[in-house]
Amino acid sequence: MNATGPSRLWNHEARRRTARLTRCAAFLRGKEVAAADMVPFLEAVLEPGDRVCLEGNNQKQADFLAAALADCSAQRVHDLHLVQSVLALPEHMTLFEKGIARRLDFSFAGPQAHHLARLVQDRAIEIGAIHTYLELFGRYFIDLTPQVCLIAAQAADAAGNLYLGPNTEDTPAIVEATAFKSGIVIAQVNELRDALPRVDVPADWVDCFVVAPRPHHIEPLFTRDPAHITEIQVLMAMMAIKGIYAAYGVERLNHGIGYDTAAIELLLPTYGAELGLKGRVARHWALNPHPTLIPAIEAGFVERVHSFGSEVGMEAYVAARPDVFFTGPDGSLRSNRAFCQMAGLYACDLFIGSTLQMDLDGNSSTATLGRITGFGGAPNMGSDARGRRHASAAWLQAGREKCGGGPPVRGQKLVVQVVETWREPHHPTFVERLDAWQLQEDMGLALPPIMIHGDDVSHVVTEEGVANLLLCRTPEERSQAIRGVAGYTPVGRARDRRFVENLRDRGIIRRPEDLGIDVRQATRDLLAARTIKDLVRISDGLYQPPKQFRNW
Amino acid sequence: MNRIPGKSYREATARQRVAGLLDADSFAEWVGPAARATSPHLAALGLPCSFDDGVVVGQGRVEEAVVTIIAQEGQFNGGAVGEVHGAKIRGALQRAVRERPTAVVFCIDSGGVRLHEANAGLLAISEIMRALLAVQGAGIPVWALVGGSCGAFGGMGIVARLCDAVVMSEEGRLGLSGPEVIETVMGVEEFDARDRALVWRVTGGKIRRTLGEATVLVEDRLSAFRAALESLRHSCPVALPRTLDALQAVQDQLTARATRESDLRDGQALWDRLGLGADAAWMDTAQFNRRLQELA
Repeated sequence: MNATGPSRLWNHEARRRTARLTRCAAFLRGKEVAAADMVPFLEAVLEPGDRVCLEGNNQKQADFLAAALADCSAQRVHDLHLVQSVLALPEHMTLFEKGIARRLDFSFAGPQAHHLARLVQDRAIEIGAIHTYLELFGRYFIDLTPQVCLIAAQAADAAGNLYLGPNTEDTPAIVEATAFKSGIVIAQVNELRDALPRVDVPADWVDCFVVAPRPHHIEPLFTRDPAHITEIQVLMAMMAIKGIYAAYGVERLNHGIGYDTAAIELLLPTYGAELGLKGRVARHWALNPHPTLIPAIEAGFVERVHSFGSEVGMEAYVAARPDVFFTGPDGSLRSNRAFCQMAGLYACDLFIGSTLQMDLDGNSSTATLGRITGFGGAPNMGSDARGRRHASAAWLQAGREKCGGGPPVRGQKLVVQVVETWREPHHPTFVERLDAWQLQEDMGLALPPIMIHGDDVSHVVTEEGVANLLLCRTPEERSQAIRGVAGYTPVGRARDRRFVENLRDRGIIRRPEDLGIDVRQATRDLLAARTIKDLVRISDGLYQPPKQFRNW
Repeated sequence: MNRIPGKSYREATARQRVAGLLDADSFAEWVGPAARATSPHLAALGLPCSFDDGVVVGQGRVEEAVVTIIAQEGQFNGGAVGEVHGAKIRGALQRAVRERPTAVVFCIDSGGVRLHEANAGLLAISEIMRALLAVQGAGIPVWALVGGSCGAFGGMGIVARLCDAVVMSEEGRLGLSGPEVIETVMGVEEFDARDRALVWRVTGGKIRRTLGEATVLVEDRLSAFRAALESLRHSCPVALPRTLDALQAVQDQLTARATRESDLRDGQALWDRLGLGADAAWMDTAQFNRRLQELA
């Protein structure tokens, strides 16, 4: 080894960490910072150009810390590089408008999608990349490690141990990356307790905490009121259950969050049971605790659920069903987005979800003009994991269909898109060209923001039928199979009728009648619950829906 | 797990309600779809019309007894009353006076007057009220069913209260001004129309039953509404007398209630005062009816 001189230092990061803690020591009583001191405290800790994770998940938000950071002086704190999964709060946008932050690497921007697109066009923000959750978490440990993270927890004790509550979400991944690379971990907590129900983050990984004036915001994103499920969605759910779940024997799966998949959840205990599928399909789930899953759990369909996050109102129900959910000794849910995404990618045989647009290659996108929504987790769960090596019956059957009958060297994940042919009047779901391509040009992105790539999609379910893309042998067969279920959209009307009938004869396209489904049976009467109140009753009063979902 | 038992009344269309309430195959429609009696006002405004203008009228049987039936379609313009819609209802009521059925069954599912038709709609409502009083004057009872998604509001709220019996489900709502109207006029501090639980505690079936404005509270099932009709044949066979003394007695009761309960802002406050319990809003219908009866 070459001698580089005795003066070389190997602990720059640790020294920098010590300097930060020294600068802010005056504000600390033990590890606690007063809420009123939060702005000067952050100004003391942060340095221009820092990589900061301001914890924004798709549910839980470190909203007090976000507001404090937005109130910092842009003279003292500027040009930050934000590395966080979700941009949901108006304060996140203020950071860029004030110049406190300049660069962004993220996954999802649901409620701020319009605002974000405007900032990009105004060059008020530099976007590094739009990631999937797993990619971003991966980069936390490679090249996007936060120097400071601002996280949200349910409670702290005086020593600084944290209890994260049911909405663990991204926190473990963020803290692991920050705390073990000489970063600073700052937590906002809802309450200070003498004893925590359980310790999710040990005190020596936490540098300081603040008791926020208000509990952090959690959005009930996964509650779908069964009252809004339409009979078309019931029909599509019947086709998915009979044509895919039963046909492949899908035992391990993940669902999207739309009404289409909520309909499937509510049909399992009724239609699914009539088909004799209990114990044969949908046993193991990577899924948040969806209220619409309650009837299938109570009916014994669902055996195990691991969750990315939680859902407001499901706390008592989850705590009362520890055989099904992952819970701590205190009874409350332990979720973990990174692990659940990994489970969805590698351990599930099926992903099913909806989208806003699909083209003739089967590429689908939720990006529409003027909005940068990002991806979240769908691309991880909705993709074939080419590193997978363990087999299951569903995975092998899909693999055999894809390779045309010969002995498969690998299986194939079932990636199902369930969509109505028109998402609203004048807006067909099926299009010749995705808006994503235009968005790529407008925003100067490296790639079009495609949510699920066509070569990963195995099935498309619409009210017109199921298209099995695994069985298609040529690009033309594939595009005609998609046209063949695209209904009266321009794409659907441009089908070659004889070609499509031929695909039907080969079982590539299957209409409801081909599946033995009587469309007259597709009524809301088939749902195991028709209202939120039904869900509460079926849960024996354990599910406590937020007030915007109750009429009592 | 079994399906939720029975077809929901709330989710049924007007025609499904008629079919579910009457004896099988007993319904004969008046001014049916083939007549294409549609709204000239909506057509003039270039708005979609419905082949029955959102109301089904005709005659059928309940346990063999002949009834006149009127069913508003809440899914067409919120069941709002326009000129043709109102004329069909008035005509059915006038025909009832001539043909003397056992009762008139009135499935109300309406936010009130169809605003596009302005004065014609207002006139229609008053014609309905006058015709309804004439039916009752002939001794024939009118039974209102309120369990649709639009409830019974505006002029149709008044019509509901004119009826001899009001059958409601918990999901049904009855009132004069709708929640959004109150919020718009009086401010969100007065009434938060997005607080669905509050809306139901103030206008829903349970509070209307507690106040006596609903005669019967039933589950949200078509079969439960049908069963209520069967029992009304015995409990409410003739129209209530409209004598001056009877009206004065009702007026006195309402005055006493307005004084006694003037400080109550929420259905739960009344349930608390009556000792019905903190979970009154949550109880199922049978349990709620039982508790109410115990306290009576």
